[in-house]
Amino acid sequence: MNTQRLGCLSPLALITASIVLVILFAAEIISGNSMFNPGELNAQAGTSIGGLTSHAEIGKQCGKCHAAFWSDQDMSVLCLECHASIQAEIADPTSMHGILYQGTAQNCQTCHTEHHGPDGSLTLMEMVNFPHDATGFSLNGHQVGADGKPFTCSDCHVQGISTFDQGTCINCHRALDMDFTVTHTHDFSPSCLTCHDGVDRYGDFDHNQLSFALLGEHMGVECSACHLDDRTILDLQDTPTECEACHLSDDAHAGKYGIQCGLCHAPTGWIPAEFDHNLADFKLEGKHVDVPCESCHINAFKGTPKDCYSCHQQDDEHNGDFGTACEICHNPSDWADARFDHSLAAFKLTGAHVNVRCVDCHVNGVFKGTPQTCAACHADPAFHAGLFAGMACDQCHSTSSWSGASFNLSHPGVCGEDACINHEGATCRDCHTTNLSTATCLTCHDSNNPTDGGDGGGDD
Amino acid sequence: MLRRSKELIYAFLACILIILSYVLVFHYTNQIPAASDLYGHVIGIIGFLLMLATETLYSLRKRSRLARWGSMSSWLQFHIFTGIVGPFMVLLHTSWKFNGLAGVTTLLTGVIVFSGFIGRYIYTRIPRTTDGIEDTGLIGQMQAGALANARRLLSLWHTIHIPIGVALFVAAFAHILGALYYATLLK
Repeated sequence: MNTQRLGCLSPLALITASIVLVILFAAEIISGNSMFNPGELNAQAGTSIGGLTSHAEIGKQCGKCHAAFWSDQDMSVLCLECHASIQAEIADPTSMHGILYQGTAQNCQTCHTEHHGPDGSLTLMEMVNFPHDATGFSLNGHQVGADGKPFTCSDCHVQGISTFDQGTCINCHRALDMDFTVTHTHDFSPSCLTCHDGVDRYGDFDHNQLSFALLGEHMGVECSACHLDDRTILDLQDTPTECEACHLSDDAHAGKYGIQCGLCHAPTGWIPAEFDHNLADFKLEGKHVDVPCESCHINAFKGTPKDCYSCHQQDDEHNGDFGTACEICHNPSDWADARFDHSLAAFKLTGAHVNVRCVDCHVNGVFKGTPQTCAACHADPAFHAGLFAGMACDQCHSTSSWSGASFNLSHPGVCGEDACINHEGATCRDCHTTNLSTATCLTCHDSNNPTDGGDGGGDD
Repeated sequence: MLRRSKELIYAFLACILIILSYVLVFHYTNQIPAASDLYGHVIGIIGFLLMLATETLYSLRKRSRLARWGSMSSWLQFHIFTGIVGPFMVLLHTSWKFNGLAGVTTLLTGVIVFSGFIGRYIYTRIPRTTDGIEDTGLIGQMQAGALANARRLLSLWHTIHIPIGVALFVAAFAHILGALYYATLLK
C-alpha cells in the first residue's frame, strides 16, 4: 500500500468520483435539473400569462427560468419574456418597477425569490432600499409605527407590494386616534393620498403658521366648518379667508352694513363689536363719542346722514327758527356752549351790543324775526319821553353808549335868539338836568342874565 | 480520558457556540435561517471549508516528508475537531431541507461523520506513538490475531470511508457549482 498517495487520488477514489459524476449527470438528465431544486415552486394562482397562472405549473422545465450556461441570457431576461407587463413598467420611470430599476434593484432577483414552497413568498424587499419618495409618498413620516417598531412593506401593502388600499391608512390611524380619524375622513374624504404625501405626520399641525391664523372662537371650530367639501391641498389652500365666505348666514345685520365684518367684529366673538368711527367720514367728537350706535344708526350704517338735524331735530329748542345747520352755533361738546358770529346776521353787533346777553334781545329763545329797531328793545327814556316819537334813536345815539348823544336837529329856541349857539359844547344834561321838558341855566349861570358871561354862571 | 478526548470537548463547545449564534439569528429574524441568507451562506461556506480541511490537511501532513509541523496526534485531534464542527455547520446550513442534491450531500456528510467515528475507534485499537506511527513495542504485546484483525478492519474502513468521502465532495462541489450557477450567476 502506497502510503504517500492521498486517499482521494487512489484508484478506488477516482473510480468512485467517476461513478458519482455519472450518477449526478444521469440524475440531472432524468430529473430535469430538479436535483438542484432547493424547494418547490410557488403555486399561488395569479394573472394568467401564456396559459400559466403560477410558477408551479411550469413544473420541471427549469429552462423556462434558468438560462443555459453558454447563453448570454440571465434569469431576469427570461422573467421578463413572460412578464411583459413588468418589462413595460420598467421602461416607465414613474411606475413602481421603473422606480426600483432606477434605484437599487439591478435585476428581478433583487426582490423576487422562488423555491420557497407552494405558499412561499415571491417577493422579499428586505435587501432593497426602495426610493419610496418617487412614488409620490414619502416614508419620512412612517419610519416607526405606534408600537415603536419599524414599518415593514406589508404593514401598508397588505394585498401585495404593488398594490395599496388607502383603507389601510384609515384602519391604522383609527387605532391611533379613532375620533379624529373618523371625523377627518368624514370631513375630507377617505382619499388620504390626495392631500398627504407622507413627508409629515401633521401630528403637530399648527394652523397659525398659515396666513389665516386661528384666533378666538375660530380655534374651536370644526375643520369642515370652513373647509367644507375640500378634497385636495389646493381646495384647502383656496379656502376663502373673507368673513362673509363663512358668516354670511350669521349676519345679524342682513347685509345692511356691508360684508367687511372685521371693521367692527373680532374673532373673539361677535359681541362686543368695536368700530373706529374716526375711519368714517363722520368723526365722533365730544358727546358723540359716548352715544350708542343705534342712536344714529337706526337699522343701517351705510348712508346714515351726517347733518345734525337728521338726529337732533327733536332737540331743536329753536323750533326750526335757525334752520338745520346747528353746527354754525353749536359744537359736539355741549349744546349750551353755542357760539354765533352775529356779524353773519343782518343785525351786526357793534358797540355795547357786543357784550349784551343773547337773551336780552332774543327773549324766550326766539331768534328768528327779532326786530332790529332800537325801540323794540329800548324803551323811550323818561329823560325825553314822548319828545322824539317816531324818530329813530340812532339819529342821536350810537351803539357805543346812550350818553354822548349828539342832537343833530334844530334846538328849540329856548333863548329866543341865536344865542344858543353859544351853548355849543354844552351837553343836553348841562341844561336839562332832569329831562328834556325842563331846562335850567343855573347849572352854569348864577342868574339868568344872558350877559353874565362869567364862566358859565350867570350873575343873576 | 478527558485529556485524550479534548478534541471532542472542543468540538462540543464549538457546536454550542454555533447553536447560540443560530438561536440568536432565529430570534431576531423570527425564522429559520435560510441556506441562501447571509448567515446560512456563512455557516455553509465555513462548514464546507472545515470539512475540506478535515479531509486534506491531516492526510497531507501524514504523507508529507517536508512539512512536518505539529505532531500527528495534534493533527488527528484537529482532524476530528473539524470533522465534527464542519459537518455540524453544514447541517445548520441546510435550513432543515433535505431535498435534491443538497439533501444527498447532507446525507453523505452524516455518513462520513459516522464513518469517521468508527474509523477513530478502529484506529485506536492499534497502539501508536504520538506521531501516529504504530508503536512496535506495544504492538508486540498484542495478540497477533487481535492485531491482524484490527489492521484488517482499518483497511476495510479505509476502503469504505474514502469512497464515501470522495462521493461527498463530488456531490458538495456539484452543489456549490449549482448554487453559483443558479443563484450567483442567476442563470
